Amino acid sequence: MAASCAVGLGVSLARGLVRYAEASRLLAPCRVLPQSCIHTTTALEGNKNWERKNRVLHQPQPPEETRRAAEVYHCRRQIKYSKDKMWYLAKMIRGMTIEQAIAQLEFNDKKGAAIIKEVLLEAQEMAVKSHNVEYKSNLYVAESFSGKGQYLKRIRIHGRGMFGIMDKVYCHYFVKLVEGVAPKEEPRTGFDQAKEYVQQLRNRTIIHSL
Amino acid sequence: MSATGLLDVFRRSFFHLESRILQAIGFNNHAVVPALSVQGPGIFPQLHRNEETEEHSLLDNIFWMAAPKKRRTIEVNRCRRRNPQKLIEIKTNIEPCSGCGNLKQKHVLCGFCYEKVRRETAIIRGQIQAQEGKPLNNPAVETVVLYEGEKPADTDAGKRIVERKRQRPSWFTQY
Repeated sequence: MAASCAVGLGVSLARGLVRYAEASRLLAPCRVLPQSCIHTTTALEGNKNWERKNRVLHQPQPPEETRRAAEVYHCRRQIKYSKDKMWYLAKMIRGMTIEQAIAQLEFNDKKGAAIIKEVLLEAQEMAVKSHNVEYKSNLYVAESFSGKGQYLKRIRIHGRGMFGIMDKVYCHYFVKLVEGVAPKEEPRTGFDQAKEYVQQLRNRTIIHSL
Repeated sequence: MSATGLLDVFRRSFFHLESRILQAIGFNNHAVVPALSVQGPGIFPQLHRNEETEEHSLLDNIFWMAAPKKRRTIEVNRCRRRNPQKLIEIKTNIEPCSGCGNLKQKHVLCGFCYEKVRRETAIIRGQIQAQEGKPLNNPAVETVVLYEGEKPADTDAGKRIVERKRQRPSWFTQY
């Protein structure tokens, strides 16, 4: 009687364990691995959401569906450079193939160009090693942008006993590489934008009307 | 009719009187509107007493300085920062080097090949320095660099020989 109870308990425990394993591991439908419900990050640490995007697990695709393209998310934090100046470089390489982007950055004289080139090479290596990308040059830059890092404040002394607070600027750089060929985007003309604007005006509904 | 005419006369006479008074002071019409705006402190004449406090003159100077009237909106700022003149142009003169395969600009030597040559010449220069011993001790003859297994040719009769203990690199042709 006691033995059967113990066995029953053991079985239910095992089932619970299996359910937990299912919930946490391979069979989860596009869910991130479970974390604690307690808010543990401090204000100084900032959001690390971009790094977490690499850990997203998709459900296995049915055989008739087109293969989902491999994506790699990479970033570098607290770069000693201005986010506005970094933006120009990030804007330049948007939509380029990775080889083209590396070539352009190699011959650019800006400080951020060398940093972005390092980040791209790291991301390319990551893609081939752990993200199931077959050819390292079959990648293109899908997203690329810069963000503000945490600034240090210093005093800048002016004349007549005045002072200003000087910001020592830092920035983050984020990039997303996708396998395959970049989708060709048609450039939006002014006429298209005007047409869209007029259409938006026409779509407005007047509430409480007849 | 007469009332409006009288008013007109009064107005005109008042302005005439005012201008006459101003002329008497020395405040002519052409000096009122400045044709060129300059920094305040440069043009202030030292007519007033010198024991004027510094704060007072600073405030006076601020009165004449250019200042923005309104905050520039983010839309206006974006138009200025993102117009094509300020964006980085992509270069179309990048090509692979025929020697090593690294990228190079069309009108510039390949950086990798240049570095390779630079390293070898640094070693040769070090050997020459060791041979000479002290500065400004170079002999008044030509120098020939010989690699492993090479003998000086007849044309290298009176030249100074620098030996390198390695195989001759492909890019350093002998003749």
